[in-house]
Amino acid sequence: MDTKWKKSKKIISFVIFFLGVCLTLEGLTGLLRYNPHGIRISQIDKLLEDDYQQSDRFRSYISNRLECFLIMATGGQNLWDIWRYGSDVYYGEGYDYEGYIESIFNEIYEDGYSETAEWNISPDDLYNYLKDLYEFQNNYLEIIDSLSDMKAPKELESYRDNMESYRDSLESYLENLEYYSGYSNRSAKHLTEEQKKQLAQKYHESIKGDQNLLYTILYDGKVLYSNSDLLKTDGNLNTPDGYNFLLYFDGEKVRIVKDGSELDVYGDGYYRDDSLWEVPGYRNLQPAESLKKVKVYMAAAKAPVLYTEGYGSSTRQLESSLYWIQHNLNGRRIFLINSIVCLASGAAFLLLSLFCRKSRRQAATDIAGIQAKIWVEFKVLLSGAILYLLYLFILIYVINGSEYDLWQEFFFQYDYNYTAAISSYGPLLLASIPSIFWIILFWGIYFLWNDLRHNKGFWKRSLVAGLCRKFSAKELNRPLAKKMARRSAAALAAALAYGILALATVILNSVSRPINYGMLLLFLLASAGFLAAEYLIGRKNAETALDMETLSRRISEIRNGNYDSCSTDAQFAGHDLEKVIEQLEDIRHGMAKAVEEQMKSQQMKVELIANVSHDIKTPLTSIISYVEFLKQEKNLPEHVMDYVKILDEKSQRLKNMVQDVFTVSKAASGELPMCMEQLDFGKLLRQTLADMEEQIAGSSVTFRTQLPDSPVMIMADGQRMYRVFQNLFQNALQYSLSGSRVYVTLKTDKSLAVASVKNTSHVEPEKGKDFTERFARGDQSRTDGGSGLGLSIAQTFTEACGGNFSLDIDTDRFIVNISFQIQP
Amino acid sequence: MVGSMDECILVVDDDREIVKALGILLEGEGYRVLKAYDGLQALDILSSNQVRLVLIDVMMPKLDGLSALMRIREKQNIPIIVLSAKSEDTDKVLGLSMGADDYVAKPYHPAELAARVKSQLRRYTSLGDIHAGCRSTEIKNGRLLYSTEERVLYADGEPVKLTATETRIMELFMRNLGRVFPAEEIYRRVWEEEAFASENTVMVHIRRIREKLELNPKEPEYIKVVWGIGYKMEKK
Repeated sequence: MDTKWKKSKKIISFVIFFLGVCLTLEGLTGLLRYNPHGIRISQIDKLLEDDYQQSDRFRSYISNRLECFLIMATGGQNLWDIWRYGSDVYYGEGYDYEGYIESIFNEIYEDGYSETAEWNISPDDLYNYLKDLYEFQNNYLEIIDSLSDMKAPKELESYRDNMESYRDSLESYLENLEYYSGYSNRSAKHLTEEQKKQLAQKYHESIKGDQNLLYTILYDGKVLYSNSDLLKTDGNLNTPDGYNFLLYFDGEKVRIVKDGSELDVYGDGYYRDDSLWEVPGYRNLQPAESLKKVKVYMAAAKAPVLYTEGYGSSTRQLESSLYWIQHNLNGRRIFLINSIVCLASGAAFLLLSLFCRKSRRQAATDIAGIQAKIWVEFKVLLSGAILYLLYLFILIYVINGSEYDLWQEFFFQYDYNYTAAISSYGPLLLASIPSIFWIILFWGIYFLWNDLRHNKGFWKRSLVAGLCRKFSAKELNRPLAKKMARRSAAALAAALAYGILALATVILNSVSRPINYGMLLLFLLASAGFLAAEYLIGRKNAETALDMETLSRRISEIRNGNYDSCSTDAQFAGHDLEKVIEQLEDIRHGMAKAVEEQMKSQQMKVELIANVSHDIKTPLTSIISYVEFLKQEKNLPEHVMDYVKILDEKSQRLKNMVQDVFTVSKAASGELPMCMEQLDFGKLLRQTLADMEEQIAGSSVTFRTQLPDSPVMIMADGQRMYRVFQNLFQNALQYSLSGSRVYVTLKTDKSLAVASVKNTSHVEPEKGKDFTERFARGDQSRTDGGSGLGLSIAQTFTEACGGNFSLDIDTDRFIVNISFQIQP
Repeated sequence: MVGSMDECILVVDDDREIVKALGILLEGEGYRVLKAYDGLQALDILSSNQVRLVLIDVMMPKLDGLSALMRIREKQNIPIIVLSAKSEDTDKVLGLSMGADDYVAKPYHPAELAARVKSQLRRYTSLGDIHAGCRSTEIKNGRLLYSTEERVLYADGEPVKLTATETRIMELFMRNLGRVFPAEEIYRRVWEEEAFASENTVMVHIRRIREKLELNPKEPEYIKVVWGIGYKMEKK
């Protein structure tokens, strides 16, 4: 409830502020725009006067009419001026008063053009002269035209244009001359009595329909012109019904009755600039002698109305000046009152908003919060659009659409030099800008200021900045593949949008001949945006490619056993592959650790075995020594000699085993020193066989050899390989079926030399058993005399020499293949 | 009885059983044996006794074998044989470079050790200054001496009984110390025939020669097989 009230309070306070500002601006600009005719704003009582008969306009209208009537009655020479009267008064739309008057004149002056001229040159002569000039010029142009047939240069073209425009201006000048020659004669001409009468009659006819102003003009007691029977000409000041103003001119003085009471027309009797009524009868403004016989009655309607005639096919407004005076005055008054009310209420609202400015400020902050969510680009576009609309508004409303083409006149005065015209009539222009413009401008600036004040990092909230962010921070948390796919999609979308826009621009510009600059600008902007987007994406991709290069290099480094971590990972901050590279470095670190630990443990194992074998060797030395002594003992019983023999054998085996264990552990840890040299594989086999000849000869198996005579050169450590084959042959001797054959072969296959030892086992080999495993033996009881390391050593040594060791068991057949690359 | 009681041998080892066994072995060979159980004790004995040869273990309490060896070498030039459970090449090289005359890895064969002791003593006593009597017709290599004139091979100054073929093989080796001969070449040059399946023949002869002149024929010091290539006489 509390928060709800707070929210409402905020809204209410802001609405109050909003209304206050709007109304104040409306009222203030209204007052500033208010341009009363001849009345200063300080004369507020006059401005608020609702009786039009109290206005200066009314008074001057009445006095002018009176003057007209007097001229009509007496046939004054300056009757023309009557017609000119009031040309600066707005009589309503669609009423061609000037044209009407013109037609009347032309009707009256049938013999229009003058016989007398005030110029030295007669208009006819001037006319003829100009006509000749015009003809000459036409001839000249014809010559140019004929010249232009012969592929005239461009200068000629422009010259011809100039000539043509010159001809046009001459033409219009000629027309003007014709017009003015007639016109000037008109005023210079003396009217005849008959013409005067005609003119007065015409004028009477033109104004008599206006029943807002009733009049009766008498001369020498006889009614000359009257438009109403309602006016009594008995010298009494009685106003007819519906009329509350009566003016009576008795030939010397003017008497005015308004609302039943007579007004004091003359004051102290002298006419001054600020006198209300400009009528004859002042001491310093006495009527002429000819007016003494004239009497004029005039009555003005209390509420003037608009009179028309010919309703239907050709509606025409009749002269209704009083109606327009009343209408305009009333309109002005209402406008002024509105403005004042607006200003007052606006000020009141502003005052009220002062009391709740705290919640208003909160509301402003809230609005700023909403504004923050809008992209800057959109705001800029919106502001631009608003400014452009306002500009159009001024252009249309103020300059083109204002009352009686005021600005056109101004511009005409300044020969369409807009800058000069605006600078001279600028204040007027500003004043004529409507309030809504200022209100929109104010709120535009207010919201801009509000946004800038509350929202820090204005540009960070732009669409572009948002996109940039999307490509960096947020993207980093997404899986790599998704990220790459998204980026490709973004690039594609940008290209597509750009393509469509480009196509649209091309089509639009080919259709509309005047180039569509807005579209072109948009296209240029889009091009820039597209290029920027492509650049960003491209840069990101290039960066990723470089990172991938680094990554693959590091992977191969790790594969090659380089476990030194790289510490330059700050350079990958913010990259796509940052995480991957980090993880790789973690793996590298882990591997380095594992390898180190493995090395350490291997080292320890070797050390342990070395120590153990050393510790075994010392007592073994004693055993062997004493067994030897026992063997040399002469008088031992037969069975004791047997025991000694067994001891001797076993101690020798133990000695071999200790040595083998030591060798294998060293070889497995890679600490065995190797002496690689080129040697003949076949010879090695022969030598080994020769070395073991006695053993072979003393066994129950036969060796079948198949070795090539030509040397087969390989790279190996001869000593170690001797040991390998020694072990293999020994195995064969030990585990072969009695009377079976052992096949020793060496074959070359392109670049590979393969030595095989095949024998038939005397026991069934256990299936799935890895015989190269350490301490693996064909016989689980472990009493057969081997160390169990023979094959293990063979395999280890072969591999240490760079060869390949493989063991196949096919039923009872043991097949060992050892292969080496043949050296060229 | 090769040795004599006035030839006194010092045996140093922290394992009393081994010392005792060595005592039995060497006394059986006719030497007088002095016993020590650590390096310091050995130095003590050496300073007060006339000793002809020292057998010393490496790993011992108080003063280890190699340190003792260096201390002995500061004063005396007697033959010293190192006995050690450390059987690796690096250990052997270390021991020999510290001044040992021989290095025997445990567990040794008593007979071999006895032979080595004899060999060292003979060189030290009877052949102490062999260079004086060395003639151009004689080729010397370690314990071996081959007289090209007599066509006789001496080991530790004693003639070795060899067959005619064996003598020719030895002459080839002694005249080309360190050179590796493929079996075929040996066969060609000794038998003066074209080599065919020569490996076995040559190998059998070489084994016989080894048995006659090597102290431990299973680990030959002089005539060595270069596996996969041939045979050579190691230059000492």
